[in-house]
Amino acid sequence: MRTRRLFLGMLAGNVAGGLACLLACGLGVLAKDSVWIVLYPSLIAVPFAIGLAAVWVWRPLELSIGAVLLHSLSCTLLGLGAGFLVFREGAVCLLMAAPILYLGTIAGALAGRVWFRKTSDRLNLCLAPLFAFAVAAEPALRGPHTGVVTDEIRIAAPPAKVWPHVLAFPEIRDTPDYWLFQIGLPYPIETTNGGNFVGADRVCRFSGGAVFKEKVAELVPEKLLTFDIVEMPPDPELMGHLEAHRGQFELRDNGDGTTTLIGRTWYSLHVRPAAYFDWWTHDVFSAVHRRVMKHLQRLAESEG
Amino acid sequence: MFRFVVRRLRWLARIPLAPQIFDALLLAWTAAFHRETLRAIESLEAAALRLPGVSPARHRFGGFGFLHEGREFAHLHGNGLLDLKLTRERAAEIVAAGRAQPHHVFGPSAWISFQLRTPHDGAPALALLKIAIETGSRLNI
Repeated sequence: MRTRRLFLGMLAGNVAGGLACLLACGLGVLAKDSVWIVLYPSLIAVPFAIGLAAVWVWRPLELSIGAVLLHSLSCTLLGLGAGFLVFREGAVCLLMAAPILYLGTIAGALAGRVWFRKTSDRLNLCLAPLFAFAVAAEPALRGPHTGVVTDEIRIAAPPAKVWPHVLAFPEIRDTPDYWLFQIGLPYPIETTNGGNFVGADRVCRFSGGAVFKEKVAELVPEKLLTFDIVEMPPDPELMGHLEAHRGQFELRDNGDGTTTLIGRTWYSLHVRPAAYFDWWTHDVFSAVHRRVMKHLQRLAESEG
Repeated sequence: MFRFVVRRLRWLARIPLAPQIFDALLLAWTAAFHRETLRAIESLEAAALRLPGVSPARHRFGGFGFLHEGREFAHLHGNGLLDLKLTRERAAEIVAAGRAQPHHVFGPSAWISFQLRTPHDGAPALALLKIAIETGSRLNI
């Protein structure tokens, strides 16, 4: 009976979270022009609602704090499993979201544990639909978060030697050293270009068959290459969460036969809390930059 | 980290759900790395809620609040730090006797702090809770 109630609580919590997400999508479609990618509700408010709903079902069990922590973990794992199997979310993406989902679920469950035990339960329950509406409506009221990731590397070769490799580079054969690449996040392999002029097409190939189609937007030989990312692969790790708009390589002549190569990526983030996922985004894009820029460094320096 | 956040990043408490998430983080950390402290928190919570007139509440900065006749007289953070409200004089006496520390943010004031580490800390913490209830009741009369 206890196990059944625990499972029902986890199920109820995740159904509540799923409904909040669906409601958010529906409201978003009504509020904007069907821009699905900006309709993810905050990944703090949703798990908070999951924790609240779960603990409402668990209420008769009078769980201790430790038990709430443990069952909130099971509840989170169930939600992540459903996200992977039903909503086809990427495994790496879910791994990144797991800590914040778990903390949100604990926070909701602990708040509910107190609220649903108090004698003034009725007032709190009256607030539940308001909270559900706030969770669902929040994404329709905000825009995407944008940012730029910048990294630089010093190459022991003049810009003239670095520049041709910036335009296009052959396959990177090194095994990735970044842990998320090692567990399945696509990593850059090769870039080809269709010409060295503004408007030329570029193709950046990632592992797992992912392809980014790009178009040259700005080209100053031996100094600057900017390209717009016109098509991203339909990868579940990226779809709807993160959008890379533009990339850039800047070469600075240090005057001593060396070059400082600066890599930049502009992006929009559609998941919240932005501060949390921004940290992940910077970490991932920096790893992409480092892999490419170290490859360019090897190629340029090996020419002597 | 706890001290830095409560002293320097206090403004974060104005963001909806941020204090609750922070306390959940503390509690998860305690559960993972300080199991004895978690046991102490659990047993103190159970013992406190058995005291006459005591009911639970959510503390506005995250953590478990304890109410006596509708008034918060103590709260327990996820890292096992118990804060209690007395009078300035009573708080000074208890700190001087080495039974608790001055409040972790306010310093010498009507509030005191007591760090739970093991279940053995439960008895002195419960004694402090009783003093806080008694002090609060006396003030209300």
